[in-house]
Amino acid sequence: MGRQLAIALLPVLLAGCAGLVPREAPVQGRSERVELADVPFFPQRRYQCGPAALATVLAYSGIDTSADALVPEVYLPARKGSLQVELLAASRRHARVGYVIEPTLAALVAELDAGHPVLVLQNLGAVHLPIWHYAVVIGYDSGREQFILRSGSTRRELLHAGRFAGTWRRGGRWGMLSLRPGEIPGGAQPARYLESVAALETAGQTAAARTSYEAAAARWPGEPLAWFALGNRRLADGGAREAESAFARALELAPGDVAARNNRALLLARRGCRAQALAEIALAAQRAEHGPLEREVADSRRTIEATAPGICTP
Amino acid sequence: MNCEMNMKQTLTRAFAYFTVVAFGLASTPQLAQAGMIGTGTVVDTAVAAAQRADNLARAQSLLARADVQQQLQKLGVNAADAAQRVASLSDAELQLLAKQADSLPAGGDSALAVIGIVFIVLLILDYTGTIHIFRR
Repeated sequence: MGRQLAIALLPVLLAGCAGLVPREAPVQGRSERVELADVPFFPQRRYQCGPAALATVLAYSGIDTSADALVPEVYLPARKGSLQVELLAASRRHARVGYVIEPTLAALVAELDAGHPVLVLQNLGAVHLPIWHYAVVIGYDSGREQFILRSGSTRRELLHAGRFAGTWRRGGRWGMLSLRPGEIPGGAQPARYLESVAALETAGQTAAARTSYEAAAARWPGEPLAWFALGNRRLADGGAREAESAFARALELAPGDVAARNNRALLLARRGCRAQALAEIALAAQRAEHGPLEREVADSRRTIEATAPGICTP
Repeated sequence: MNCEMNMKQTLTRAFAYFTVVAFGLASTPQLAQAGMIGTGTVVDTAVAAAQRADNLARAQSLLARADVQQQLQKLGVNAADAAQRVASLSDAELQLLAKQADSLPAGGDSALAVIGIVFIVLLILDYTGTIHIFRR
């Protein structure tokens, strides 16, 4: 009985170390081989791979920090580890965009191609007996089917692609970047990027968010959400006319965008263009009916109706 | 259970709420523009947007922040660090932490733990007579 149990458990327990994982697609990037050799190395102390891995990506992005300095920011003593969301939040505190990559090997390789080291969560154990570990992938070698990592106390860990893929898959294929303001991820995912920048903005890093929104609008000029977010940021920075033009751009690209139309209408009313503002808010109200923004638009309409008409300059 | 304990907990909670509200107000630039629909509202899912637009929900988000801050303190983080840590979390992340701070993966282990697991496996195999490496 005991013996049968042990034999039954064996593959589960050893799956992490024995490479019994199904083979995934071979490593295919733009190059045969990439290694971001300039990525610094912070050897981890016991349990503190979170601070060490975060220090690695933050230092590479130009932040003067160390694993020890990040312990009070991301380490949870009672859990003997760090949580993913706290690594993202800590990036924001250092004015870096904490960006979660798409959960595919192709996306991971695309980031390495773009010169971004990827902080990954690995499960070195088994699905039901997890051993969570953070490391930083700094390169790949297609010919040798290897990934290159800064991990634990190993400066340059060479991991067979299949084995790495197994540990990464069991960790939920989670990987993040710490991007400098304005630096765009390698995978073309505007919504994902804008969401990450919005979180940076809410965390109070307004200057870094502004730079990143400007960069997003330049990189994806056809993306209405980029212009909308940029409009809000410009307005908060005191640039009402610049904001208005960003909302106008968003509306050219997406005429049905209720939020952009609402905001544009309020700005028009604010500078005396009451008639135009009323026409805009009426359009927004039509679109917002029974939607999540219905009440906001109704409030805006009342605000605009209560404004006195002024001198409206185009 | 015990009165002193409850009193202490209440005080900790009150302190947590206070610091969080102070942080929340300081770090919500969107609030300054009356009537404007914020980027956060649009970026989140439609449901979250509807909730967030609500003032009540905004208050709830502040409470979630306070709760998460308290949880971090329970997990061994000091009060000042905990306040700073929650201030950088997005609403979605707060909700996640408020619900499952104890069950989310906490990456921390090194190869040592792997050796530990292998050791346990060997011990089981030895115990069941499959292998013989430990002398009894």
